[in-house]
Amino acid sequence: MKNRYPRSFSAIDAIVADTASFFTAQAIDPALRLKVDLAIEELFVNLVTYNTEASEPVTIELRAIDHGIEVTMTDRGVDRFDPTRAGAVDIESVLAERAPGGLGLYLVSKMVDSIHYEYRDRTSKITFSNRSGSGEEGENVRNRTQ
Amino acid sequence: MFEIGLNEHGEVVLSGRLDAAQAPSAQAFLDGVEDGCVVDMAALEYISSAGLGVLLRTHKRLAGAGGGLELCNVNAHISDIFSYSGFDRLFVIRNR
Repeated sequence: MKNRYPRSFSAIDAIVADTASFFTAQAIDPALRLKVDLAIEELFVNLVTYNTEASEPVTIELRAIDHGIEVTMTDRGVDRFDPTRAGAVDIESVLAERAPGGLGLYLVSKMVDSIHYEYRDRTSKITFSNRSGSGEEGENVRNRTQ
Repeated sequence: MFEIGLNEHGEVVLSGRLDAAQAPSAQAFLDGVEDGCVVDMAALEYISSAGLGVLLRTHKRLAGAGGGLELCNVNAHISDIFSYSGFDRLFVIRNR
């Protein structure tokens, strides 16, 4: 399934609904849903927030794979930004030193089994996958390439 | 769908999905909370980093005045998110 979504947070509801429909239609393990939803939302929000000069919709393609799902998000007319190389997040800080923000891409790394970034002709393409029984959340990223 | 309100005990109740689209309404509601309070998350299915930001911003504001947020009835997925983000060390979290 491939759909295009406007560059607005208001598109998140449609993305969630489309993802739910795809999981049902393809009988994908429901236990993967929240992890996939979170990874898609964080990446989508990142694209919309930081690629402010882009105007084209973001394309999200969902594919069923063995025991799981593969998601590809394509953003055209943008500068290079590799979300798999986001800076580290200090989660050990005390409350006074913690500031909101910066957690999104870090959480993506905890949610997905593998993630891959390509940049060509001013187009960013991010592909990640999740499979059933691939381990606990937080120890999932095994394959990062660019 | 996301909803936020107060129950009969004066606790903040969250339900549904607290994502980037819903974070502004959650923040607006919590900006009206003036004392420390309990946040019942039993019906909250999902939270993203935008929602975490709302909780952290509110907790810091209230903690600065001697209060803070106490989170309760957190589901397993959100509990994992709190653990990854270090929120389990910043908030009092109870299941009841």
